[in-house]
Amino acid sequence: MESYPLEAVPGTGEVHMACFTSVKNAPELKERLQAQDKTLTFAMVESNLIMDVFQLLTAATKAAKDHEAGKLSTQSLSSEIIYNLSPTRNIAESLKRFGINEDTTSLIAVKIGGNPDEVLEDMSKTVDGILISFSKLDQEKDMVRLRQYYKIDPKVTEHKDILNWIIGAMAMKNIQ
Amino acid sequence: MQNAQLIKQGAEAKVYLAPFCGRQTIIKERFAKAYRHPTLDKKLTSRRVIQEARCLNRCQKALIDTPTVYMVDVENSLIYMEYIQGISVRDYLVTEEGSTTETQQRVAAEIGKALGLMHNIDVIHGDLTTSNLLLRQNSFDPDADSDATATAATVAATTGPAGYESLVLIDFGLSYVSQLIEDKAVDLYVLERAFTSTHPNTEVMFTQILEAYSQSCKTSKQILKKLEDVRLRGRKRSMLG
Repeated sequence: MESYPLEAVPGTGEVHMACFTSVKNAPELKERLQAQDKTLTFAMVESNLIMDVFQLLTAATKAAKDHEAGKLSTQSLSSEIIYNLSPTRNIAESLKRFGINEDTTSLIAVKIGGNPDEVLEDMSKTVDGILISFSKLDQEKDMVRLRQYYKIDPKVTEHKDILNWIIGAMAMKNIQ
Repeated sequence: MQNAQLIKQGAEAKVYLAPFCGRQTIIKERFAKAYRHPTLDKKLTSRRVIQEARCLNRCQKALIDTPTVYMVDVENSLIYMEYIQGISVRDYLVTEEGSTTETQQRVAAEIGKALGLMHNIDVIHGDLTTSNLLLRQNSFDPDADSDATATAATVAATTGPAGYESLVLIDFGLSYVSQLIEDKAVDLYVLERAFTSTHPNTEVMFTQILEAYSQSCKTSKQILKKLEDVRLRGRKRSMLG
C-alpha cells in the first residue's frame, strides 16, 4: 500500500491506496456496494483505467475538498472519488465505468484518512486478491476504453500527454 | 494554501508555486476587489476563473501546448495548473543564444504556428506579450522533480536557454472565444506592440511570426488585412465613425 498527502486539503489525512490483482470476490463486493454496506469504508476503482497515480490523487483531492465543503455530488466520499475520475457528470455511468463490476479481477482500493496499518488490514481482509506494488500498474491499462471514455485525440500518443488530457478532462467536468 | 510560494502578483491575480499531489504546481488565485460590490465581485471573479480554465482546456484539446488544468476551485477562485519548466521568450531574446538570427527565426516560426492554431479554434488570448510565451525545457519530467524545495529563483538559475522542447502559451486570464476577424487582428497587434516596445530591432522577427501564422491560420488573409487597419488606428476602435 502507498500513502500520499493531499496538499490542497490540509485538514484531511493522507490518502492510502492498495493495488490488488487476481481478485476473486468482485461479485460479492459489488453486491455490498449496491446495498450501500456501511462497513465498506474505502473506494474500489477499476485499475486498468488508471493511467497514473496522479490521476487518482487528483480525484481524491477534489473529493476531500468537496467533502469538507459539504458539497458531495454522490452519496459518500468513496463514491465521490470514483465519480471524479469520470469526465462526465452522469453519476450512474461514472460509477459503472470507473468502479468495480462483477467481472473485475484487478482493482485499486482507495481510502482518505485513517491509520495506515488499520486501513491496509481492512482492505486486505475485504478484498480477496493478491496485493501488488503500484509499479505493476503499467501493464494493465485498457487504452481502448481510456481513449473512448476521455475522448482522447488519436494524435495524442505519449504517456504524459495522455495523462494531461485525462487530468484536463477531469478538471473541466463541473464547469463545461 | 500549504507551502505555497508567491511567485508573481498582478492586478487581477496572485500566482503561487506549491506542491499538489506530489507535483510542483502553479496555483492562480483571483483575489476579491474591495472597490467592487461583493455580490458583483463574486460573480465576475467566478465567471473569469471558469472562462480562463475553459480557454486553456480548449487549447489543450486542439493540441496547442498550454499548461494542463489540474483542478478548478471556483469557490475559492483558484486554478491549479501544470508548472512549465522553462524560460519566457522575453528573457530568452536577451540571452546570447536567443539573440542570434537563426534561433530567433526558429522561435518566431513556433510562435506564429501556435497563434494560428489558437485563432483557428476562435480563442483570443487577449494579453499576448513575450512574457506570456514560454519555451518548455527539454524532456522535463514532472515526477522526477517533485520535491518542493526547488524555488522559482533556482529554477531560473538552472534553466539554460539551450534545448527547448516547444512553445507554450500561458496566462489566459484575459482570454475569450470569438470568431471576429477584428478580435484576432487586435490580438496580433497587441503582440506586435509588445515586441517593438520591449525588444528593439525585432521587426524582422515579427514579420517571420506573421509568415508562420499565415501558414497555420485558416483565415489569415483577412486577419492580416485587418491588422493593417488596426495599426493605423490603434487597439481601440475609433468612436468618431
